[in-house]
Amino acid sequence: MLPIAVDAMGGDNAPGEIVEGARRAVTEAGAPVVLVGRPDDLAGLRGDLDLIEASQVIGMDADPGSSVRTMKDSSLVRAAEAVRDGKAAAMVSAGNTGATMASALLRMGRIKGVSRPAIATPIPVPGATPTVLLDAGANAECQPAWLVQFAQMGAVFARERYGVEAPRVGLLSIGEESSKGSPLVKETHALLADPAALAVSGARFLGNVEGRDIMTDEVDVVVTDGFTGNVALKTLEGGMRALVRSVLDALGATPVADEALAALMPLYATLDPDQHGGAMLLGVDGVCIISHGSSSATAIVNAVRVAREMVEAGVVERLRAAVAPR
Amino acid sequence: MPAETHVERSPMDRQQVFDLIRDRLSDILEVEPSSINEGDSFTDDLEADSLALIELAEALEEELGERSVGFRIEDEDLEDIKTVRDAVDYVLARL
Repeated sequence: MLPIAVDAMGGDNAPGEIVEGARRAVTEAGAPVVLVGRPDDLAGLRGDLDLIEASQVIGMDADPGSSVRTMKDSSLVRAAEAVRDGKAAAMVSAGNTGATMASALLRMGRIKGVSRPAIATPIPVPGATPTVLLDAGANAECQPAWLVQFAQMGAVFARERYGVEAPRVGLLSIGEESSKGSPLVKETHALLADPAALAVSGARFLGNVEGRDIMTDEVDVVVTDGFTGNVALKTLEGGMRALVRSVLDALGATPVADEALAALMPLYATLDPDQHGGAMLLGVDGVCIISHGSSSATAIVNAVRVAREMVEAGVVERLRAAVAPR
Repeated sequence: MPAETHVERSPMDRQQVFDLIRDRLSDILEVEPSSINEGDSFTDDLEADSLALIELAEALEEELGERSVGFRIEDEDLEDIKTVRDAVDYVLARL
């Protein structure tokens, strides 16, 4: 297969951890990798990995739209162009999320029929497959028809990524009753209640779900606007971090600390975002994996693995079919 | 056919520029071309976000770059382009 283009310059730990992850991914994720970035910065790190040269780096806090337009020789833009031009099968970046989305959208283009791409983030569920939350931050303001497309695309992703045959789709709200929620939620609920809405994607609409349902096995795909989705995502991350910290503090003072920590490690691994391979930008005409800003080498290995799996599953073609006008 | 605009070098009139902008906008916003009018506001009437306007700017630069070498829509000018008519005026002034 074509190599996976890894943005070597993006992320809090770039380029060191990113390049190490890319090198490990060749054997651990079974995928060829090409780095994208500044040759001088990568000279002593990249070993025998191929390089697509890019002289610029878009900062983590740069304005997404204008930076992509003005920094055409940035690693992010060049990575997206590599996919567009058939030099790479997919792209992976732990850099500026908004700029990653803008690069992918402007260079790869949208799948025909998709109104807006959405970020699909796996939320770990202990003892079960992760729940796919989308949109996790690409579109702060949404229209009901967009959320229907997010549901269709999220269902395809859940099936191809986690093997969920008939994904259960929930609409994030403040109560299970269809009468509850914002105007956006109520209008979207009415559209998703039409059995035809999710027919092609083979999913089933559960109705409204609440924030407490996201980390349960009751739902496979949770759909919401990008503002709410990002708030929900960050709340869960912060909550889990606080919980882990408080459990460690409490155990540290007890004589059973070592034993208890050993028993908790598998659970901790389940909740560790580095193990989940990042989010996927659904709706652009190519595979784009967005890894979190603080990605370690292990996170990059898993992101490359997900990219390879999504390319091999033909997920873009399946998304195209799921959102095609009927 | 879009390809013909690359070959045809005669000056574009206002209607041709409007048609081009409407065509690209309909692709970007996934709406029927007939629903886009020259007086429409990008945000209020067409519900286009900032990224959609950047998509439009890139599409126009690509399309018009061959006709008018170096054609570019400056980022700071994007903020002043509020309506489809503003965009038509901007393009006409720079071709």
